[in-house]
Amino acid sequence: MSKNNLHVLFDDDDILLDAIKKIKEKKYHINEVYAPFPVHGLDKALGLKPTRISILAFIYGCIGFTVAVLMTNYMMIADWPQNIGGKPSFSFIENMPAFVPILFEMTVFFAAHLMVLTFYMRSKLWPFKKAENPNPLTTDNMFLIDMESGDNLNKMKVFLKKTGAVSIEVIERDDNEK
Amino acid sequence: MSSHYEASIRKPLVEGDKSYHDITVDIARPIETPPNKDWWIAFSIALIAFLWGVGCVIYTIGTGIGSWGLNKTVGWAWDITNFVWWVGIAHAGTLISAVLLLFRQKWRMGINRSAEAMTIFAVIQAGLFPIIHMGRPWLAYWMFPLPNQFGSLWVNFNSPLLWDIFAISTYLTVSLVFWWTGLLPDLAMIRDRAVKPFQKKIYSLISFGWTGRAKDWQRFEEVSLVLAGLATPLVLSVHSIVSMDFATSVIPGWHTTIFPPYFVAGAIFSGFAMVQTLLIIMRKVSRLESYITLQHIELMNIIIMITGSIVGCAYITELFIAWYSGVEYEQFAFLNRATGPYWWAYFFMMTCNVVSPQIMWVKKLRTSIIVSFIISIVVNIGMWFERFVIIVTSLHRDYLPSSWTMFSPTFIDIGIFIGSIGFFLLLFLLYARSFPVIAQAEVKSILKSSGENYKKLRDSHE
Amino acid sequence: MKKVKKYWKGLEQLKVQSDIVDKLEQNEFVEEIPVEKSEDKNSSRRDFLKYLGFSTTAAAIAGCEGPVIKSVPYVVQPEQIIPGVANYYATAIADGNDFRSILVKTREGRPIKIQNNKDAKSFNCSNARVNASVLDLYDTYRLQGPKVDGNYVLWDDFNNQIKGNLENLINDNKRIVLLTQTQCSPTTKLILDKFLSKYSNIEHIEYDTISSSSALDAFENIYGIRALADYDFSKAETIVSVDADFLSDWQGGSYSSGWSKTRVPNADNNNSMSYHIQFESNMTLSGANADNRVPANPSELKKILAHIYSRLSGQPVNGSLNPNLDKYVDLSVKKLKSSGTKSVLISGIDDVNVQEMVLMINDLLNSDVIDIKSPRLIRSGKNSELLKMMEDLKSSKISGMITSGINPGYSLPESEEFLKIFKNLEFTLSFSMKEDETSRVAKFLGASSHYLESWGDYEFKTGHYYLAQPTIRPLFDTKQFQDVILSLIGADTNFYDEIKSNWKNNILSSGKTWGKSLQDGFFYDYSQNELSIRRKRINLNSPFAESSNEFSLVLYPKVGMGDGQRASNPWLQEFPDPITRVTWDNYITLSISDAKKLKLKNYNVANGALNGSYAKITSNRKEIIAPVIIQPGQAPGTIGLSFGYGKKYGMSDEMKVGINAFYLYNDFNKIQKVNISKVKGDHEFACIQLHNTMMGRDEVIKETSLEIFNTKDKSYWNPTVMVSKNHIETKVTSPEVDIWRDFDRSIGHHFNLSIDLNSCNGCGACVIACTAENNVPVVGKEEVRKSRDMHWIRIDRYYSSEDTIQEDIKIAEEAKGFRKYKSTLNALEQAAENPQVVFQPIACMHCNHAPCETVCPVAATSHGRQGQNQMAYNRCVGTRYCANNCPYKVRRFNWFSYADNDEFDYNLNNPLGKMVLNPDVTVRSRGVMEKCTLCIQKTQKVILDAKRDGRKVTDKDWQTACSDACSDGAMVFGDVNDKESEISKVREGDRTYRVLESLGTKPNVIYQTKIRNNINI
Repeated sequence: MSKNNLHVLFDDDDILLDAIKKIKEKKYHINEVYAPFPVHGLDKALGLKPTRISILAFIYGCIGFTVAVLMTNYMMIADWPQNIGGKPSFSFIENMPAFVPILFEMTVFFAAHLMVLTFYMRSKLWPFKKAENPNPLTTDNMFLIDMESGDNLNKMKVFLKKTGAVSIEVIERDDNEK
Repeated sequence: MSSHYEASIRKPLVEGDKSYHDITVDIARPIETPPNKDWWIAFSIALIAFLWGVGCVIYTIGTGIGSWGLNKTVGWAWDITNFVWWVGIAHAGTLISAVLLLFRQKWRMGINRSAEAMTIFAVIQAGLFPIIHMGRPWLAYWMFPLPNQFGSLWVNFNSPLLWDIFAISTYLTVSLVFWWTGLLPDLAMIRDRAVKPFQKKIYSLISFGWTGRAKDWQRFEEVSLVLAGLATPLVLSVHSIVSMDFATSVIPGWHTTIFPPYFVAGAIFSGFAMVQTLLIIMRKVSRLESYITLQHIELMNIIIMITGSIVGCAYITELFIAWYSGVEYEQFAFLNRATGPYWWAYFFMMTCNVVSPQIMWVKKLRTSIIVSFIISIVVNIGMWFERFVIIVTSLHRDYLPSSWTMFSPTFIDIGIFIGSIGFFLLLFLLYARSFPVIAQAEVKSILKSSGENYKKLRDSHE
Repeated sequence: MKKVKKYWKGLEQLKVQSDIVDKLEQNEFVEEIPVEKSEDKNSSRRDFLKYLGFSTTAAAIAGCEGPVIKSVPYVVQPEQIIPGVANYYATAIADGNDFRSILVKTREGRPIKIQNNKDAKSFNCSNARVNASVLDLYDTYRLQGPKVDGNYVLWDDFNNQIKGNLENLINDNKRIVLLTQTQCSPTTKLILDKFLSKYSNIEHIEYDTISSSSALDAFENIYGIRALADYDFSKAETIVSVDADFLSDWQGGSYSSGWSKTRVPNADNNNSMSYHIQFESNMTLSGANADNRVPANPSELKKILAHIYSRLSGQPVNGSLNPNLDKYVDLSVKKLKSSGTKSVLISGIDDVNVQEMVLMINDLLNSDVIDIKSPRLIRSGKNSELLKMMEDLKSSKISGMITSGINPGYSLPESEEFLKIFKNLEFTLSFSMKEDETSRVAKFLGASSHYLESWGDYEFKTGHYYLAQPTIRPLFDTKQFQDVILSLIGADTNFYDEIKSNWKNNILSSGKTWGKSLQDGFFYDYSQNELSIRRKRINLNSPFAESSNEFSLVLYPKVGMGDGQRASNPWLQEFPDPITRVTWDNYITLSISDAKKLKLKNYNVANGALNGSYAKITSNRKEIIAPVIIQPGQAPGTIGLSFGYGKKYGMSDEMKVGINAFYLYNDFNKIQKVNISKVKGDHEFACIQLHNTMMGRDEVIKETSLEIFNTKDKSYWNPTVMVSKNHIETKVTSPEVDIWRDFDRSIGHHFNLSIDLNSCNGCGACVIACTAENNVPVVGKEEVRKSRDMHWIRIDRYYSSEDTIQEDIKIAEEAKGFRKYKSTLNALEQAAENPQVVFQPIACMHCNHAPCETVCPVAATSHGRQGQNQMAYNRCVGTRYCANNCPYKVRRFNWFSYADNDEFDYNLNNPLGKMVLNPDVTVRSRGVMEKCTLCIQKTQKVILDAKRDGRKVTDKDWQTACSDACSDGAMVFGDVNDKESEISKVREGDRTYRVLESLGTKPNVIYQTKIRNNINI
């Protein structure tokens, strides 16, 4: 027997959150939720795992710092140690204070850019990427839950209406797709 | 709901009876409606200024830096003054979006988008000057540590000027991605509203296919938070490093350890003033009064007043330390600053930066739009003079009296400065017509807590 | 019958009939050669593409070819010229104003630099003008060949026409005047005697553009020969100079090296210094360097002399001096008496009576300093003769004139009248290098050679003979005056032969050969006979012109411009006057008080440049309008104005600056009674030092008095600079004040330059020497006015604001409290009415901890192993950060491209002028920073030569252009890692200090504390 996808629209974030709670209680499976703005508590309600992107940022920062140290050491100390204003180019540690700004900037540079790139990649954001939100209103003022209809569609509809859905749209799917 | 609760004493940040959709409509309006006459006038003025500047730059590169007013003693004047001025202005944007985000200041949301845009455009102006002030600008790329045909010929990491290169380029790119990431949901909004196929194409291209999934939003908020965390020390570092151009030198009046904090304060000061100037115009022109409220203006005025006072303290400290140090060159440098041939510049600086913001203590004045506007302009003039005073009056009379001289700008110096202002306005005007000038997604998220209508509603229930 | 050899090629030849053999005999080649037949060959598409491809590629490659720089190789390379190796020739300059024995450096056959001939016994210290004279050789305005009535002709025609003219004139016995500079050349004299005896109607008059006639007359009256007394100031213990600027141009100059020897207290002279009192009207170099400088107007000066004479001789004198002058007269007399034979009195007053007085005084003192036995022969012009000539010209008693090496049309007080008459004379012949005021109107214009293209011999002073030899073939079709004269008297020899024979026969003795003399450039004959003295009773009561309400104008030759014959020399035009530091101009100098009275101003405009009001000077119905420089130290009631400017012809428009002071040189007397009044308008000066005082900064110039120097310890008068570390006073030299470890500089050479503020008199020869050595560009008046001069070495001149520099420092230190401090500092900005003056040459300090190096983003300037602060021009991107961060402000930026740029139409903008460039030094491009390199090209040369010869470098080999040019021994350069070297010894000396030492820049250029010897009364 066939299952369908439902696109349930809400027009208010609080109602949305309640609805999600109820749906979760009924053990219906929610594929995805689209929102026009960050709704606080949405990830919790959906039980999303916290993102680890900040940890990555830290690692990227460390990489940037290392790169900076290697670069300054190679260019100023190893490759061609010049006598510049008498600065001790014969030892990295002694000359290092002059490089602190560079080390810092490189750290930030790497951390920020690599993190953002990761975010774009993971969330599939790049130029020419086709937008996949099922309903254009979800970037305006509508909230959309993409969920699987239970066995009984009508019962489901009634239930959802009760949770405050503005409209419910049934997307047919044939079996061999899954 | 609790997450939406906000003390009712707090003034609403969104005025009028706005729904989520109204916000969408209001933000999208300037983009979807054709520009009015005022915009065209502003645009053409900016364009003319810009083109004049371009002409002056071309002339300079064609004939030589000699076409400026510089001489053997005063090697920097308007060029670096403008550079520092623009960098300073640039700081407000990042501060507003990053620092205020860290402090969870909701009122930032009305203004951070434009402030960040201003940041980027200002950094672009700032970036121009170090390049065109070179004797041989076509070799500017030598400033980067590139492998080259000369063998192991590298840059000098001891040089504050090189620190600048790294700081400025990091700052520019980081604030760019920060800005753009924040833009994605709003661009997506425009995209989904767009009816003209071309417009749709463009906005779907630059919105990177944003859909607003729950997970995306989660990452989005995390990324914004971490970027803010990175941008805050970055913004502080950038102007500190700019100040080190002077602080690490040996020239009396430059060689001052107070510079880094003093410059940062000055940067916030001038930056907020510039934001003030632009937003007061924009809220009128794009009819965004209900999002950029008097409340915003007042809060910014308070910041201007405080930073202005900090800067004032720095000036006094400088004088005190010069006296306290007992170094004859320092003492003379500051005597010369205040009473020498350039006393008038010092006077401008003092009145504009220290005296004028003090009127903001009066609530009536700081809540008056016209006063705020005038002060914001005055402050920016003052801050320009601050940099002029630091650079020129320190250089023109340093150690050996035999090399003392003066500086006066040529029309090229002036032309390039005006050109950069024109370029800045040009970019901003184009931005105001093609980008969502307010972070509508974020505003929507605070609508319930800080929207006037919702506040009323809540109050009536209690 | 002859036998034909037959070579066997193979068995086949045995056969009687062999078709193979026939075949081989018939056709050379066995098989047909594959030659393409044109008719059956039709080029295919493929061929077409081949040709197309080839031709386009060829065209492309041809297009890629870089610009072709033509260079003409030697057809036969002269063996003494090795490309890249400099040749030096000893020669002499005698242009009528400057007389020196010099060395000329030539590269690839081009003279590029003038140096002192250090072996010469006299006339061996060349000044800025002599150093710059090499550039005149490459002047685009030089005459390319002889002209008659303005058209180029061949020399033979030229000479024949002149001969013809002279024949005619002698036949109807018409008078001709031969007007030349002083001829101190023995051989030229011989030739001229022959010439004059052949043409009896020609009268020879010698003309010194700046006259020493009165001194000559005085000497003639007393010693019987027309010459100038010479002086050896190295023997002097007391020098009293009454208006004689002997450190620059007085009586031919070249006295400074002697003077400086007595100015440095050291072990050899048991720490003594000569005492030098200067009475004068203008502020001159000599005055600026004197121990006591007493400003006085000309009539007072005469009185002063009279009083000194009377107090020495006991002969009574009428009239009294004003008390202030009187005490200095007392001092002078006291000093003169105490030093006895080691004392000397000199004067530059144009008055025979006064000059006789001077000679008598020195006779009274029995001075060893004055040299009567071998007087100077470099001046001989007689004013009366010239005045008579002018009369005769006016009354048209003269119908022909020959001039050589002079420009009376410019330098005569009545130049207009002269030219009017000269134009209409029957016969006018002018030998000149340029078409100047005189020669352009002459009928015959003899293109004469530059002295570096010429032969010559001179007797600068009796027994001191000097030889001049060509250092390059004449660039143009020019001849020497003497050669033409020789051809006129029908001699078939040339001037060279004459000199050689004359020297061999009459001059050379004591076994010195011609060749050796030519190599040395000099020959000395000490067998002079004693001159008998005819003592005269001086009339002390000859009426002295009492000072009236009128001003007295005191004309003087400027160090940079002299008598103006080098006015078209851009180096000299841009050479800042040592006293006023003004370039590209001459001007009226006026005392501060007079300027106030007359409401004449000097002020700085927005960009700092100096402006001055105009004033009108009128003297017997002549008037000129000139800009005013307010000159501290100028005697009230006097006005200074320098010769040498205001030339109009034979130079580019940029050079036509200033006003002609010869116009007011009435009766060839440098002192004129004039009236002065303010006129409208302001003049734009190009002054390179806009601030005149030292603001009491004791770290710039350290001074002490001779007695303190001799009585107290170094730590009192030259203490080691202390800096505060953790609020503890620590020696700046001690390592713990550095925040990082130092580099090891003990290996290899480490160069230092020491500059002695006692022996430096600010003459500025080093500035021009540096310009020539390092291809320093000339930037022109407008740029200098914008403070963009490019000189790598400058000589800062500071006036005291109080009476002495020491007092300045004292009051600056004592100024406490804001109001007091402000008023004191403001007061210090103004120079005193009669200030103490100090000169300080400043070049790049080559700091071991250089602020400039640290800040360069592209590491274009970094420190060399030998201590130089090096500049990689082609790496520089021109941020100018280094210049900003230089505490000494010695870095110079190329604001424009100064070479090949019509905006800067000086010697670097034409192929001729570029011949003076030193091939060892790059010409810097636009947008890069440049500065002193401690002449690294010279030090490297020394090192490489030593390496090639496999010897150790000797200390005396080290020279920089400036130290080499300094004939006063003010500059010592060398390797401080060589403990035996002179520089090491100097460096360890007590007087050593470093400018702004507290900054911790550790300069490699060190200075020697100035010791003052003045008694304040």
